[in-house]
Amino acid sequence: MNRREFVALVAASAAMTAPIRAFADETCQSPYMPKITGQEEFVYVWTLGVEGMGDEQDKLVTVDLRSDSPTRGQVINSLSVGGRNEAHHGGFSADRRYFWTGGLDTNRIFIFDVHTDPSKPILHKTIETFVKDSGGVVGPHTFFALPGSMMITGLSNDDDHGGRTALVEYNDAGDYVATYWMPTTANMQGAVAVGDAVADGYGYDIRALIRKNVMLTSSFTGWSNYMMDFGQMLQDADAMKRFGNTIVQWDLHTRQPRKVFNVPGAPLEIRFPWGPNANYAFSTTALTSKLWLIYEDEDGEWQAKDVADIGNPADIPLPVDISIAADDQTLWVNSFMDGKTRLFDISDPHKPFQIYEKTIDRQVNMVSQSWDGKRVYFTSSLLANWDKKGDDDVQYLRAFSWDGKELVEDFNIDFYKLGLGRAHIMRFGSSELYSS
Amino acid sequence: MRLLKKILAVSCLAAVVPVLWYAMVTSQAAASRPFAAAFSASEEFQFEPPAPGSYRLNTFKAAPDGHVLDVHGISRNLSDLTGGKISLVSFVYLMCGDVNGCPIAMSTLFEIYETSEKLPDLREDVQLLTISFDPSRDTVEAINSFAYPMQIDEHAEEKLPWHVLTTSGMEALQPILDGYGQVVDRSNDQDVINHLLRMYLVDRQGNIRNIYGLGTIDPRLLITDVETLLMEEGRS
Repeated sequence: MNRREFVALVAASAAMTAPIRAFADETCQSPYMPKITGQEEFVYVWTLGVEGMGDEQDKLVTVDLRSDSPTRGQVINSLSVGGRNEAHHGGFSADRRYFWTGGLDTNRIFIFDVHTDPSKPILHKTIETFVKDSGGVVGPHTFFALPGSMMITGLSNDDDHGGRTALVEYNDAGDYVATYWMPTTANMQGAVAVGDAVADGYGYDIRALIRKNVMLTSSFTGWSNYMMDFGQMLQDADAMKRFGNTIVQWDLHTRQPRKVFNVPGAPLEIRFPWGPNANYAFSTTALTSKLWLIYEDEDGEWQAKDVADIGNPADIPLPVDISIAADDQTLWVNSFMDGKTRLFDISDPHKPFQIYEKTIDRQVNMVSQSWDGKRVYFTSSLLANWDKKGDDDVQYLRAFSWDGKELVEDFNIDFYKLGLGRAHIMRFGSSELYSS
Repeated sequence: MRLLKKILAVSCLAAVVPVLWYAMVTSQAAASRPFAAAFSASEEFQFEPPAPGSYRLNTFKAAPDGHVLDVHGISRNLSDLTGGKISLVSFVYLMCGDVNGCPIAMSTLFEIYETSEKLPDLREDVQLLTISFDPSRDTVEAINSFAYPMQIDEHAEEKLPWHVLTTSGMEALQPILDGYGQVVDRSNDQDVINHLLRMYLVDRQGNIRNIYGLGTIDPRLLITDVETLLMEEGRS
């Protein structure tokens, strides 16, 4: 009896019931987690507190997206966590019952229960020992769900507050599991530098292509830079040298680095497409304003190359967040300085080209699109000390519909007007995910 | 060599840790032919498994204990079943019709079970466990029927032991689910139990050493992790 015959025998002995719900969701989540059916009901916005504004604290803001709700397009809950931690990124656990968020300055990790009442998250646990647990990692950034655990990228370290850092893994209960330091020239850990790549040990984002057992990490800058005033940093030649120039390919299963690619200019977000034969990922470089492709070549080897400019690189529009459509055909690219979002046709990933652009506001940072691509959301904050000053410092969540030709504004929530602070990362929620 | 291994295997208690003889013979075998080589590659897993022992498996947490029922209705402590062996543990329910759910776990475990005939020495050290999270329908009689293919298998003695288990009810089951971190959502529709597909690698000391989900339940990967644990024991 072979495997197929066994399955048939078991199937025949059991009354086959209807499969559980089909899933669809925001495109940039961990592929391990369940997805939202249909339209998202809530968007959670991890928000930086501002001195002298409201309660001045970082908070998780819940905005109602339910189409039949009288409070649709409004803030329906706000949960402050105590102090300003440089709230930044977050991600759901693989069972999607908890939303993990990090503070880049205080290194605190906040785990919110989003399943008991998805309209009103509860602070479930706070991890205060990230630096000690990890052996010196600073700046918990991306939270990438794995089955039963959370992989967290760091941005810095407590030795020199520079960009050398590590991946840190916790189990779903919030207990420390392991630290995986990024490869450096002094300790490549078995990885190979491709071409003229110099392993800098920096970190930022993390994504994985499970069926290829490939994990990629990107690189940014350390605490001494991301906590510095942006204008001051731009004038500091030494500080400007302290940005990452690498993307690292890892063995997902063993958590061991394999290749270090030269990707100059601080490659930030990494996105894999969803197609079953799509063996590539996109990233953008903040300082050189290029779209990069990390791909598997015909020999089965992974490579990296820049494939397009984003705006005029000489103007340093500063590409930030990106969002790839579920059909793998288009990619939204935000650039902070000019406040623009651009849409690239990526149907040929080796030859992407821009097909649309729109100024969202005077500054823009994060973008999240629904699985069907018909709704696109934008927020405004980059970092507390990097956001624009004066009238250009606008803080918002803006929702748009996308008909394939034009972004049409649906609603606009002014976070400053509501005394909430600086709106950063967004993640969708829905009560449809939980049946008990 | 095969005879020597059999003689040694008989002389060793399964609960004795570490099993030094095993490390000796398996490290030789692994160098030339890892256990994963006994399995054919599936289209859905487009990579070669890592070399066993070339990486470290973390400890995620301790696996919980609890009371379960075997196919004969005998109450057993989970720790008595798992203690002393490396276990691949999965939670399933027999009525599951989700193509991305229990059938994947069951068929993968069955593939490992069947292929283990080619790896007879593993039997002393490795076992499979399935625990139902639908105890009201997965009665002792039901799991006994499920286990029928293994019970009539003439070669069962040369393959991995497979403990097919259920519980007396949710009161006994829930602490086990919570301890492993296996999420189960019960809706108003009693015919459907929403759950995430999970499989757990538990070492002889009762620690969860890896957690697998959809996309990683590759028999080659599972058995490579098992081999890595065996090699780790040999080094200790």
